[in-house]
Amino acid sequence: MPKKPKIAFYWCSSCGGCEESILDLAEDILAVVEAVDIVFWPVALDVKYKDVAAMGDGEITATLINGAIRIDEHESMARLLRQKSKLLIAHGSCAHLGGVVSLANFSEREDIFTRLYSDVPTVKNPQGLFPKSGTIDSGNYLELPGFNDTVKTLDQVVEVDYYIPGCPPTPELIKEAIMAVLEDRLPERGAVLAESKALCHTCPLKESKPETIRIKKFKRLYEFEWDPSRCFLEQGIVCLGPVTRGGCNARCIGANMPCSGCFGPLDNVTDQGAKAASFLASLIDSTDEEELQRITASIPDPAGLFYRYSLASSMLKGKVAGNKSD
Amino acid sequence: MTERIGVYICECGPNIKDAIDLDEVVKFAKDLEDVVLARPFGLLCSQEGKTFIEKEIQEHNLSRVVIAACSPKEHEHTFRKVLEKSGLNPFALQIANIREQCAWVTNDKVLATEKAKALISAAIRRVVLQEPLTERQIECQSDVLVVGAGIAGISAALTLAQKERKVYLVEKLPSIGGKVARYEDLFPSLECASCVLDPIQDEVLHNEQIDVLALSEIEEVLGYYGNFIVKVRKRARFVDVCSCIGCGACFEVCPVKVRNEYNEGLDERKAVYIPYPGSLPNLAVIDKEHCLRFNGKACSACQEACPFGSINYGEEDTIEELKVGAIIIATGFDLFDPGKVPKYGYGTIENVYTSLEFERLISSTGPTEGKLLLKNSKPPEKIALVHCVGSRSMESNEHCSGVCCTYLSKFAHQAKEKLPDVEITQFFSDLCLPGKEAQVFFNKVSSNNEIEFIRLKSPDSLDIIEQGGKALVRYTDVYEEPKTAQYDMVVLAPAMVGATDAARVAAVYDIAQGKAGFFSEEDTTLYPVASSMEGIFVAGCAQGPKDIGASVAQGQAAAGKILSRLVPGEKLALEAAVCEIDEGLCSGCKTCIGLCSYNAMTFDDKEKCVSINEVLCRGCGTCVAACPSGVIKAKHFTDRQMFSEIEGLLRYSS
Repeated sequence: MPKKPKIAFYWCSSCGGCEESILDLAEDILAVVEAVDIVFWPVALDVKYKDVAAMGDGEITATLINGAIRIDEHESMARLLRQKSKLLIAHGSCAHLGGVVSLANFSEREDIFTRLYSDVPTVKNPQGLFPKSGTIDSGNYLELPGFNDTVKTLDQVVEVDYYIPGCPPTPELIKEAIMAVLEDRLPERGAVLAESKALCHTCPLKESKPETIRIKKFKRLYEFEWDPSRCFLEQGIVCLGPVTRGGCNARCIGANMPCSGCFGPLDNVTDQGAKAASFLASLIDSTDEEELQRITASIPDPAGLFYRYSLASSMLKGKVAGNKSD
Repeated sequence: MTERIGVYICECGPNIKDAIDLDEVVKFAKDLEDVVLARPFGLLCSQEGKTFIEKEIQEHNLSRVVIAACSPKEHEHTFRKVLEKSGLNPFALQIANIREQCAWVTNDKVLATEKAKALISAAIRRVVLQEPLTERQIECQSDVLVVGAGIAGISAALTLAQKERKVYLVEKLPSIGGKVARYEDLFPSLECASCVLDPIQDEVLHNEQIDVLALSEIEEVLGYYGNFIVKVRKRARFVDVCSCIGCGACFEVCPVKVRNEYNEGLDERKAVYIPYPGSLPNLAVIDKEHCLRFNGKACSACQEACPFGSINYGEEDTIEELKVGAIIIATGFDLFDPGKVPKYGYGTIENVYTSLEFERLISSTGPTEGKLLLKNSKPPEKIALVHCVGSRSMESNEHCSGVCCTYLSKFAHQAKEKLPDVEITQFFSDLCLPGKEAQVFFNKVSSNNEIEFIRLKSPDSLDIIEQGGKALVRYTDVYEEPKTAQYDMVVLAPAMVGATDAARVAAVYDIAQGKAGFFSEEDTTLYPVASSMEGIFVAGCAQGPKDIGASVAQGQAAAGKILSRLVPGEKLALEAAVCEIDEGLCSGCKTCIGLCSYNAMTFDDKEKCVSINEVLCRGCGTCVAACPSGVIKAKHFTDRQMFSEIEGLLRYSS
């Protein structure tokens, strides 16, 4: 019997949703298990880091890593898995673009600690204890992973071969990616394994979208009774469908929610957030400076909204000092 | 392939040479990647300079050229031609503007030199990514549509009408001539208006190359420069144009009297009428709105009276389709309605007139046949002329119409000629008498006649109330003293504004309308008669207030622009640096469509994507910035080119 290809899964800074998305394969997962050997999957299998270290270079056919790079442990595991895998696939928005966790880059490391370990009203920390990478407890030296200055995408740490976008990706995309690996029909290296057109292309509301949209005020869903059968943008609701890669089956739209952009930018777009700001600005209906400011002010938390999934990978990068560019 | 870049630095006489350390710049540029050589030169735009670059390109087998000199607005086209002559694509050129942006903005030679280096570094990084572009050409129509048969439209039509081209001159009114036809005398020469207008009107009507379509309006415009398809509605005249000789038998018997718009409502006309004595074409017309017959009454008085059997109640509107290459819009102006500012008493106080009404009062073809009379048929003793009504004010119109001061001088002269003893007062806050004629004319009129001038504190520090059947002008003069004076006639000079139906016209042609309702020109300085749509031109007062001479000049200018580009039998050359869309990657989100000022984007319902009409596109890049998928590319301004340029700017090391 020929040897089955080896597959590994790993998670870095993530919410667990991407792991769930693998489980969402439901009975299809049996077909995957049938076809491959899962050699490493911390959430499901008790395989130690040392077991991975003991594997040969390139022994794993493909590793799917989800989550962003937040602590040095993520970084070293990413390097280790890169070394052991023929293909390294960024799985989900955080590994792909930084994801929601990379919104932390709008705050400095010290501010994050102060907030979490001191300022949050439910936190009592009279001794003023803050995380450190090493400490001595009862005579034993304990080591914790170091907390990096910034959140990084997977490809800012190691070379990534493919990307499965989404927060989380759909089970269909994951299955399709794994099948493409097994059947050796992957596209050009570096590709994002989803559609190449924006969500609008497959949006069920696209027929209701007019040729000209003019927005006097950006509205939020709770503010008025909107029509679920009409394009969100046409009703003044921020929908990032035009600026977001398709391939998600319009899940949010189907659930009466506008697109928040988790599949990331299209191939030709350098910075999803900037593009979102630029395209939304083009819909604003005013030439008066004051009115323009009023209209743009009706977009709550624009940076958080436009860069919700892509801050680490963006040109904006965030507030954090020490962001190197090359 | 490695690029071979030549960098040429212009001394621009002392302009650049004295302000920038050129030796240092040359040394710096020489060592940059892909640069084969860097050389300074005295004056690159001179014949010697051009020949020098041409020789250099060939001798050193250069593939790209960076020129550090003045603004690309000034000489980009010059140097593109040099490249073309040397066998390079003209778009293999990039200009670093080290004159306006470096030499002229600081006296600090060190800073200017550093900035020049940064700009040259940016230009080099950009030029390697520039792609060769070729000028495109399309088949085109060389016939032209001129809308509005006033003085500007007529001038345009006459300039255009040549052997091989047809001009369609469309006028919505029954007769041509526009506003000028309503004037008696024209400043500054006080020539009689009909002496100026009649011969050219006649020429238009008899020119075989000009089709005059009176009583007609454009309903739809499709297409683009070189190939417009225009739908014209010709309204029924109900009078046979071939047999009618304008004898007037019909209107003598017509029982209906309505406001005579030609005389600004100062008298009445019939429901079948000729707009004014001598109006051209000299044909009667039935005013369907007021004619008894078209209002359900059994009247056929005019038909019975017509000796030529010309009246045809059964005539219907017709729609004609025209194919033209370009359009000139010369739809004129209207006066700001002074009734909108109640303090002038217009419409409520007797003998308060607008300037157009005064033109008719003083005209030999007007309601009083040129006698200057009050409503009570007595001649006025004291006339007030009020400048800047509804203009130069933030509340109504900010602009100055530029002609009122001169025509009020004309009015003073005309009134004095008719009534030598009449007292005339001009209320003004500033006088605008531009050009070589207006001041001279003003001086002549003012020195020959005793005219009182009262300078107001501001254009609107004046109001008019009724007092004993006369107009009492209450004003604050420039010395801030409140005063009053009584007049039995007041003439207001309201602002010139866009014609009342200008918004409708703008919508039909999809051209931009600016302040005060005038159509916006593409560029006030360089393209004063180009509209926001390629191939559609604006001329005369439709574009902004101006005098007759300037209107004629604009009509002729617009005609000239068209004659030079739309040549019968030749193809139309189009801008090379336009936008292109990758239709295969377009999501069909339609964001770009409503943004395009030139109507170049259309949604393909079958393919569910947008396509760009390259003829209409001017490469402005609005769609590129907005395209959420990043699949529209502005040729010669791609993201890669611009990022590379920015990197070159930020990462140069001194």
